[in-house]
Amino acid sequence: MAVPLIFKTIEESGLSTWIRDSPSIFAYWFILSLHAIGMGLLVGASVVIDLRILGVARDLPMAPLKGLYKVIWTGFWIQLASGILLLIAYPTKAFTNPDFYIKLTLIGVGVAVMQMIWKRVFSDSDLSDSTMMMKGKTLATWSLVLWAGAVTAGRLLAYTYNFLKYDFRG
Amino acid sequence: MMNPVRIHLLLNHSPIIGTIIALGIFVVSLIGNRDELKQASLALFALIALVAIPAFMSGYAAQNAMKDNPDVSMALIQAHQGAALLAFISLELTGFVSLLGLWRFSRTVKNPWMTRPARVNLIALLVLAAATVGLMAITGTTGGDIRHPEIVSGPEPTSVIAAWGARITPVFQFVVIDYSMWVWPILEDLHFLGLILLLGTTGALNLRVLGFLKQLPVAPFHRFIPWGIAGLIVNIITGFLFFMGMPGFYVPNIVFQIKMLAIILAGGNLLFFYCTSAFRTLEDLGPGEDAPRFAKFIAFSSIFLWIAVIVLGRYIPFGEVT
Repeated sequence: MAVPLIFKTIEESGLSTWIRDSPSIFAYWFILSLHAIGMGLLVGASVVIDLRILGVARDLPMAPLKGLYKVIWTGFWIQLASGILLLIAYPTKAFTNPDFYIKLTLIGVGVAVMQMIWKRVFSDSDLSDSTMMMKGKTLATWSLVLWAGAVTAGRLLAYTYNFLKYDFRG
Repeated sequence: MMNPVRIHLLLNHSPIIGTIIALGIFVVSLIGNRDELKQASLALFALIALVAIPAFMSGYAAQNAMKDNPDVSMALIQAHQGAALLAFISLELTGFVSLLGLWRFSRTVKNPWMTRPARVNLIALLVLAAATVGLMAITGTTGGDIRHPEIVSGPEPTSVIAAWGARITPVFQFVVIDYSMWVWPILEDLHFLGLILLLGTTGALNLRVLGFLKQLPVAPFHRFIPWGIAGLIVNIITGFLFFMGMPGFYVPNIVFQIKMLAIILAGGNLLFFYCTSAFRTLEDLGPGEDAPRFAKFIAFSSIFLWIAVIVLGRYIPFGEVT
């Protein structure tokens, strides 16, 4: 199957070329750093919630932990923005790699699971801590598995691509 | 600009002298059963384990600077490097055990050393620390041999243990680089997962201290810290393996050097603030209570430093010396 020509058009745009080739410290490595920080916020805060639901730091009251969802969403938006910029820089590299679709799927399901935890565990403020833990146990376990998978799939993007650019097989 | 050999000479005495002093204090604290001395020696072990990271790495820079010098025996350098490798691994293990011991110490107000896990912890620490002191002695003497021909009998190394360590050094490079192209990506993945544990757990506690999750009491957050320490351990091990795979890439890289400095600062912060009795001043903070200004400063610098470590890590390829 031929690689769609639109990727070539994107790669030749000014923004794409700048992110990829500029020697400025605010180009590629800066966006990649933002993507790592966003991951730390999104996944780090999720993992803390998951661990608490699974019984770590049992003496910590559950309900106020929902404040961490602000961190999760901040991380999510940083990831979306920096991720789109990285896609503009290397569209062929990402879209021709099956691992990229695995990563997106895992993130999608991972975010959905965090939303389900919000609904089932945190939305009803009358629940006791032990009820909250019981209701969230399965979801929290899945959340940990999905985030580990998403991070792994993301990390492997750097090692599994078929094309670096439209005209360049990597 | 400072000469790499000089930097190595500046740094390399602290792990040797430091472990001897820390072991001395530790033995005295055990004999006299003095808890505050135990705590001090554990903190010293963990701190030395941090400082030893650049001390070990600068040895590669020193070796590189001396490699064309005809007066220097490569066999002696390799023996010293082998001994240093074993001493470094032993010291890092000592540091990990100390950190976990300190964490236990900081959360139990009543005598924590009477319980069984703590005693196991202390015995393990004593054995590891004694081994480290022995290996450090070999590292020091083989290092001295390199530039003091008047004290060696010939150009060949004499220590069996150092020669053994020198044989192990290339094994790391083989496993990390040559064995399979998948070893490096797997290590990278683990390095990221470790980052998440470290940043997530310490970050949550720091946010509470800063007043963000104010409805929560502070003390229970402390239970998350061993997960952060686990992440730190994973990252020191995987980071060490990256370094052993490509020392020539990392040693002259200024971004990498600054990252190591930031890790020492952030690790020292974790060590002194969350794993010593400094934490007890925070432990009484109940729901809605404001942390002291000093604690907020420490919490802010912890978040800032760990994020700086992440950013510097991502910029390492940018600092590549070609």
